Amino acid sequence: MMNTLSKKSGVLVVLLAASAAFAQDKVVLKTQLPPPLFVGTPVPLNVPNLEPPIKGKRPDFYVPAGTINLAKNKKVASSDSNPDTGTLDMINDGDKDGNEGSWVELGPGKQWVQIDLAKDANIYAVLIWHFHSQARVYRDVVVQVSDDATFKSGVTTIFNSDFHNELGLGAGKDLSYIETYQGKLIDAKGVKGRYVRLYSNGNTANKLNHYIEVEVWGKPAA
Amino acid sequence: MGQTGSLNPLTSRAEVAARRPVWIRWGVFIVIALLGLAVRLPQLDVRPMHTDEAVNAYIVGQLLSGQSFNYEAKDRHGPALAALALPLAKMQGAKSFSDLTESELRLTDVVAGAITILLFGAGVEMFGFAPCVIAALLFAFAPLPVYYDRYFIHESLFAAATFGFILAGWRACVKRSPLQSALAGACAALMLACKETAILHFFALAAAALVFWFWNLRGKRRGGVRLREVPIAAAVFLLFSVALFTWFGSNWNAISGLMHAGPSLLARAGGEGHEKPFWYFAKLLTGGWSGGLISALACIGLILTVKQRDDSPFGFLGWYAVLVAVIYSLIPYKTPWLALNFWLPIALFAGLTITWLWSLPSRYRAVRVPMRIVCVGLGAVAAVLIAHDTRERVFTHPADERNPYAYAHTSDDLLGLAPEIAVLARQDGLASPRIAVIASDPWPLPWYLRHYGQVGFWQPGQKVGPADFYITSTDAADQYSAQLKDLRPEFFGARPGVLILLWEPAPK
Repeated sequence: MMNTLSKKSGVLVVLLAASAAFAQDKVVLKTQLPPPLFVGTPVPLNVPNLEPPIKGKRPDFYVPAGTINLAKNKKVASSDSNPDTGTLDMINDGDKDGNEGSWVELGPGKQWVQIDLAKDANIYAVLIWHFHSQARVYRDVVVQVSDDATFKSGVTTIFNSDFHNELGLGAGKDLSYIETYQGKLIDAKGVKGRYVRLYSNGNTANKLNHYIEVEVWGKPAA
Repeated sequence: MGQTGSLNPLTSRAEVAARRPVWIRWGVFIVIALLGLAVRLPQLDVRPMHTDEAVNAYIVGQLLSGQSFNYEAKDRHGPALAALALPLAKMQGAKSFSDLTESELRLTDVVAGAITILLFGAGVEMFGFAPCVIAALLFAFAPLPVYYDRYFIHESLFAAATFGFILAGWRACVKRSPLQSALAGACAALMLACKETAILHFFALAAAALVFWFWNLRGKRRGGVRLREVPIAAAVFLLFSVALFTWFGSNWNAISGLMHAGPSLLARAGGEGHEKPFWYFAKLLTGGWSGGLISALACIGLILTVKQRDDSPFGFLGWYAVLVAVIYSLIPYKTPWLALNFWLPIALFAGLTITWLWSLPSRYRAVRVPMRIVCVGLGAVAAVLIAHDTRERVFTHPADERNPYAYAHTSDDLLGLAPEIAVLARQDGLASPRIAVIASDPWPLPWYLRHYGQVGFWQPGQKVGPADFYITSTDAADQYSAQLKDLRPEFFGARPGVLILLWEPAPK
């Protein structure tokens, strides 16, 4: 009896959520996923404080109609202007393949990349593929949005897994995650800004920083 | 050999070697060995400890605590590495497992590598002065021998013992020397006490000797087979093997274990997750900037030696090289350090080819100077290529997963685990934190947690008591959610694609 009630209320919640999304003229964010390159590393499923792995396809994420990937082929800057492997323009060239030749490798330790969207925009989602040919976690991932290219003012942090405040941007409470071919989707909640800066601090395989692709989904600000 | 167009530059190596003052010969090889040491010793502690190194270190720790070596065919190789590492560790002041350092342990292999280089000096009468000098130089500086001579596993010692066995065995045959026979027996025992794969080498050496006898020596000189020396070698082999495997009489069960090692060894040969294609070693040896050149030089020497039915020891070495290469390539189980077994013949045949190329102009006086200039230029290019590869693979990226020598290697990231626990323990005022490790394969964590007095290791599913810190494999944690619910996980990379979790106090 309780189970039936629970199922019915679950269906109701989903229907209500879907109705609400459509009422606001929202659509499912559709991005092209690269082929997976490894079978997921076993991850605990029911443990507090650990981001549960995505089982199968990621749940649909709704964004306002007309939302597009604003980052594609836009100008990219970095704390490492001379990457060891690849070039900065690979970060937003649309190639999400996980094999060698598709990623840019920045130097060891704390590094950032910054995408200039060319004009202010309302940002609803940021999708990041650091590396997905093996199970890996990138340390101290922080994503910020600002209308200031130097990130000295007007900065909004939309994701921060820097638990120990290694980057000096403030201790984060977001959870670390294992990279997969589906990328990491960050809900930007419509934050307004022109520049998106992504930090990392090495990874669990080595001290280097990698980016295969970054997508910034939004709409030019009115 | 003495044929026109012969590959071998010396008609009688023994005669030429005898004419060269002994102190000059050994002076040259001692200098090369010292150079080899100079390349091998720096930054010995930088590369993280591979799981196999950590297991070997743990065994040395057991010996330091007064236990004897317990041979287990399933999980361990023979006792030779520990037998050499133990006195070296003691000499450096280690009294327990927690005292040991990466440098102290890896020094064992550095010494074994230096001995191998010196052994080329003992090989002059067999292979000639110039080929041995070039082979010693290659061994001293080339990336693969340098890399694995800084790696606390059995391969370097095994290579030294194999070379010793070949040299002493040949001398025993030629000189009818009981001392050399005994030495050959001791080297063979050392080979077996390093790795059970010594059996493959014994087979390859015996088969190579037979083929050499019937093919290379057919219609040429024939000496008698010196069977008189065989019992001496066999007796010493048995004596040394029993002494080492029983840890000098303290563990006689080891003999039974060795006798029943067959199934374990066969299972391992089947792959056990380390299956590689037939051409794996060929690809590994020809990789990098210098691999192709060194391999090409070695192949030229090998092919010409076999083609000319060379009746010098190179003829025997050629068959041995071919057999070992075929055997190791056919066995599904392959790891990169096994390629060190190919390096003795590779270095010597490359040395032979270079000596031959150098001697060519003397037959064609008109082009002597330009050809010699070309030879010197090629040598300089080879030196640059080798220096590049050694720098990149040994020193710059020793644990990088793109380094083909760093196989299933412990990630640099894991080096941060113990310091992280130290910082957190200090913050929480814990002088001796209790650490619970829950993982089906916890290695190399016993090495990295050796300085902590209260560390326990559990298999997933076992009941685990209260602890200040938990370290779990990614698949083990959800069985312990009640104990972990107030802790925050931090990922650490154990090996490429293998993550572990340190559970630490969650942010307030």
